[in-house]
Amino acid sequence: MNRLTELAERVMESSREAGATDAVAEVIESYTQQVRFSNSQIDAVNSWTEKHVALFVAVGKRVVSSDVRDIGAAETIAKSFVEMAKRTPPSKSYGGVASGKFKYRTARPDKRLIQLKNPARFAYDSIDAAERAGANNVGGTFFVRHDKVGLASSGGARGSDERASSDLSVRAFSQAEASGHAVCCASRLSGMNAVKTGERAGELAVKAKNPVHGNQGRADLILEPLCLGSFVQSTSDMMSALRVEISTSMFVKKIGKRVASDEVTFLDDPTVDSTTTRLFDHEGVPTRKNVMIRNGILKTYFHNTSTAKRFKTRTTASAGPLIPTAFTFAAQPIPLHPIVAPGDWTKDEMIADTAHGLYLNNTWYTRYQNYDTGEFSSIPRDAILAIEHGEIVGAVRNIRVSDNMLNFWKSVDALSKSQEEIYWWDEAAPPSHLPIVRARAMNITRSS
Amino acid sequence: MHGPTVSMIDEDLAHAILDIASRSTPLLAEVRLENRISRSIAIRAGQVSSVSSSSDVGMNVRIALPSGIGFASSNVVSRSEGSKLVKDALRQAKKGKRRSPVAFSSEPPVRTSWEVRQHKSLADVSVDEKLEHLQSIDSAVMKTGVKVQGRYYELKDWEVSNYFVNSDGSRIKSFIPRIKIEAYNLISAKGETEQSFREWAASGGWEKKDEWNLLEVLPDEAVMLKKQIEKGKRVTPGKYDLVCGPEVVGIASHESCGHPMEADRIIGREMSQAGRSFVSPDMIGKKVGSEYATVIDDPTVPGTYGYYAYDEEGVKARPRYLYKNGLINEFFQNRETAAKLGVQSNGSSRAETYLREPIVRMANTFVAPGDFQDDELIGSIKKGVLMNSFTEWNIDDKRYNQKYVSREAYFILDGELAGPARKCTLEITTPGFWGAIDAVSRKIELSSGECGKGDPIQGMAVTNGGPMIRLREVNLR
Repeated sequence: MNRLTELAERVMESSREAGATDAVAEVIESYTQQVRFSNSQIDAVNSWTEKHVALFVAVGKRVVSSDVRDIGAAETIAKSFVEMAKRTPPSKSYGGVASGKFKYRTARPDKRLIQLKNPARFAYDSIDAAERAGANNVGGTFFVRHDKVGLASSGGARGSDERASSDLSVRAFSQAEASGHAVCCASRLSGMNAVKTGERAGELAVKAKNPVHGNQGRADLILEPLCLGSFVQSTSDMMSALRVEISTSMFVKKIGKRVASDEVTFLDDPTVDSTTTRLFDHEGVPTRKNVMIRNGILKTYFHNTSTAKRFKTRTTASAGPLIPTAFTFAAQPIPLHPIVAPGDWTKDEMIADTAHGLYLNNTWYTRYQNYDTGEFSSIPRDAILAIEHGEIVGAVRNIRVSDNMLNFWKSVDALSKSQEEIYWWDEAAPPSHLPIVRARAMNITRSS
Repeated sequence: MHGPTVSMIDEDLAHAILDIASRSTPLLAEVRLENRISRSIAIRAGQVSSVSSSSDVGMNVRIALPSGIGFASSNVVSRSEGSKLVKDALRQAKKGKRRSPVAFSSEPPVRTSWEVRQHKSLADVSVDEKLEHLQSIDSAVMKTGVKVQGRYYELKDWEVSNYFVNSDGSRIKSFIPRIKIEAYNLISAKGETEQSFREWAASGGWEKKDEWNLLEVLPDEAVMLKKQIEKGKRVTPGKYDLVCGPEVVGIASHESCGHPMEADRIIGREMSQAGRSFVSPDMIGKKVGSEYATVIDDPTVPGTYGYYAYDEEGVKARPRYLYKNGLINEFFQNRETAAKLGVQSNGSSRAETYLREPIVRMANTFVAPGDFQDDELIGSIKKGVLMNSFTEWNIDDKRYNQKYVSREAYFILDGELAGPARKCTLEITTPGFWGAIDAVSRKIELSSGECGKGDPIQGMAVTNGGPMIRLREVNLR
């Protein structure tokens, strides 16, 4: 048992001694480096060091979670939270924490990434490559992340995990309104290709030159993985059982129903090699591959032990952070690494097969009128390329996709053979493996 | 005891770390120590869903050299950790290799302390009392007889103490408590649904919740949305006069005035995330709207969610007139953008926590009041729509093309309200919106929100609002 798991066990046992009937302690140590750049130069180099214990305690059905930041006093603080839980009104729907004899795989983080001392060079490599490809103004971020986790639960979980990853996001401009965006996610330093990423952003920026106002009406959309990532984010979040319970989901009462076209199979698999590979969820349950949508039919929601009990099913090992975050409710099951299964098309075949459409590099600001029905709009950005009769004929700007998200997934009729891991800011998040997809006859609107 | 309480900040430690940072003779060195207590309780369908309580102590060091800026933060608070942060920040600043040297505007050093007082301290409110308040809201919503699913209500509060020092000689101590209630409701009728996500937030103590009157406001919202479903009719696409209520005015002020007027966007620093701006540095004085389009951002409005007295760089907060009588007037500036654009900072630097770098942010953004009564705006319209509130909204990353879909809207016929207009959609350019205003009412209302910007994204406490405004001849559908 490593140092963090030992501490997690002491904190968990301390909670139990104080009277907790259930307890989960997750000790997290993280060091993150970030290089921010814009206007083709570095703006700032930032780093964050965090050492804390995410703690969940229950006394019967009385539950409290806490982010214990004073790691040296965590055992004592844990006892005070148990006392607090004793005075907290019960959560009648609480269903316990996972129990069992869990076995985990072994984490193998890349030591070269952990030891990386000069992240700035990746920023400059990508800037130079984008400019060589025709861009005149380049911005982005390069992250290097190193996380160590030790977890102990009263249900028997004892585990440690360690991840190292890097992600690069490059947005390149060739004109004030002509840009391209490319990303690279790598769990090993050897996989971080800053030159290729910069080059691709620069090439897209050149293709996006001299955009004309886009037209309203129906168009087939070919979405790059980065663009699809924004739709995957909101779609997968709505598969959370808690989102279903509070009616902020278009998947309510849709298990076993068609929610996408036959071509769409949607997975969540944090066991694949990725920047978010993890050995166990936040309850300590070993992660696994979950099929969320198979050939267009919704198979399950994301569950932790508590929601699974309420839905009379089993956890999908999708327990989210023990403490509420900016983007998740407390105790919300979450997607850990969404994957849209590939198809058998190439990008060029999709374009050649499209009579009237748009090729979308990226999008942002995907917002819903009503999560229950799925009406949304999203604003494509960076390279928006018009397709007529199987060929790209120019660039477009100032358009919006205004449609329904269920209709989007039901309209997908082609997926690429290739997949790419993507992550960008908080739009295309969490990191996911996605192909290029085509959705037929989506509604396009614009300002008037 | 109802959980942890804010502890004292070790000011001597901040001075000691600043001394270490200053040895490298930087252009600027800053040290911030922060204590933060946060608590939350959420109920779902009237029952406790989650309770959390956390205490955080941490610090950051920012060092600027001509070659670059380094920022390092940690939740370990000690002299040795401070030395490590200085070393990290210095190393990072050296690696910037800026082609144009880093510069900061010269600002007077400030030695002060400020705080937001609480009539009833948030630390003294029990979980039971908070639960009782949320459950009474839930009961009031249920008593309407409207079918309301979801019913997820969350109460959050924070108390944050800060001590900021910089190499210019500033020494600023602060304390700010904030409280927020979020409500998620799904209203069903006739086999259809409408969604409502609302938020109320303020700086201050437990007493602030009484100002929101949620025992009436949320039931009224449920009844209103049921009527929207049952009686609402879609707008026939075409040109209409449009009256926007304070909530819609607020979101437009934030999205198509506040954001494009952030100097860091204008000079491109956010280009790969939140985007750039249709505004360029040479557009001060250029026309963007009618003479009635005056938008102010004022962090000093007492009790607001976006309140602060001094920004994260120690610059005194003051009102900023962003659009003034339809002209682009003043950008949000921090010390770095101000130096680039040859002006002074106007106190716009904010950070979500000590863990994040400070960047240019809004605070309380609103349209300046006019001299009409609300009724006069509606009474003067022959054929139009009143859009009181919105659901779906978005805007492009240059802040030029925006869309607002109504949550609550009504047709106006011959100066009278004529029944609900459902999902009325305004999709319009920024000059199109601000240029169409021909009347503004007197009474201002503010709504709270979380503004997302930066990388990693920083959620920032803001309010938006204004009076009612009238737009002539805009396309609706």
